[in-house]
Amino acid sequence: MNRRRAKTTIVLAGLVALSIAGTATAQSTAKLWSSDVVADRQRLMKLNGASWADAQAKLKAGNAEAVAVNAETMALIATQILPLFPEGSLTDKSKAKPEIWQKWSEFEAATKNYAMQADKLRDAARTKDLAATEAVAKEFGRQACGSCHTPFRVPPPQQQAPAPPQQQPTR
Amino acid sequence: MELRLVRTAVILGSLAALTAIGCATSTKAQMMGTGDPVADRQRLMKNVGANWADIQAKVKAGAPETVAVNAEALSLHAQRIPGLFPSGSLTDKSKAKPDIWQKWPEFEAAAKNLENRAAALRDQAVAKDGAAVTTNVATFGREACGTCHTPFRVPPPQQQPAQPRS
Repeated sequence: MNRRRAKTTIVLAGLVALSIAGTATAQSTAKLWSSDVVADRQRLMKLNGASWADAQAKLKAGNAEAVAVNAETMALIATQILPLFPEGSLTDKSKAKPEIWQKWSEFEAATKNYAMQADKLRDAARTKDLAATEAVAKEFGRQACGSCHTPFRVPPPQQQAPAPPQQQPTR
Repeated sequence: MELRLVRTAVILGSLAALTAIGCATSTKAQMMGTGDPVADRQRLMKNVGANWADIQAKVKAGAPETVAVNAEALSLHAQRIPGLFPSGSLTDKSKAKPDIWQKWPEFEAAAKNLENRAAALRDQAVAKDGAAVTTNVATFGREACGTCHTPFRVPPPQQQPAQPRS
């Protein structure tokens, strides 16, 4: 009887240790960032936006090849998005829609699509073909960013509509 | 006696479940890449190198204030480095030195150094302080890349010396 109890205790202790180890591993991976997951994902998405803006500026300057680094940065960042949206991480500072967690598999698919589109832009840029890179870039905002932002992000405040053109004084 | 057995079984069962959840969570987090840490870290470091090359090209072109995006990419990528070097991930395709795992705290500090240096560069660029960016960039290769590559990476094959012009 005593023996059996000792054995049970050992098994229990072992399992407790394993549980802690498992949880600790998970936490140390999640600990990559700060403790504020909303701030972390906003920082990540800002880099996405800045990389996209840099890519567009380079295209405008006719430098397709230089876009590859930005596209690859976006492709690498895309794999970081999902773990930064744990359930219940919706604060008043967040622009995330609750739909993310209601339609998680669609959200997941949207981030995968984003990574694929970024791969496509990178591969086009590596060919140094300006027209081909521009063709991918033309669709990128809608297909890579918009297909996730439209269903899953509260739209940013509408920008001031441009002032109507001044009536040309008639002479 | 019966009751105690049942109770033990329940406790064992829940602990096993907890263990499974814990392990599954950590596996999921680690599986963010392809599952091949050598390929994953080489891809990440290639993008670090490409962003660094872009920084140098922009400074050379007289646009040091536009490097913020690249510096921020370096700073965020740097945070991922230690997680991509699990112990035992030394293959013949890897240029990592075993010293990484023998001197882990130093390796971690070197990654942190890159993160901080890159964040400083980003802030200088955001402040549009072109002179500060240029000064930082001048020593960045040695102090942010080299302080980790020299002790912890097998040097790449020496480049062929340039052919003398005839």
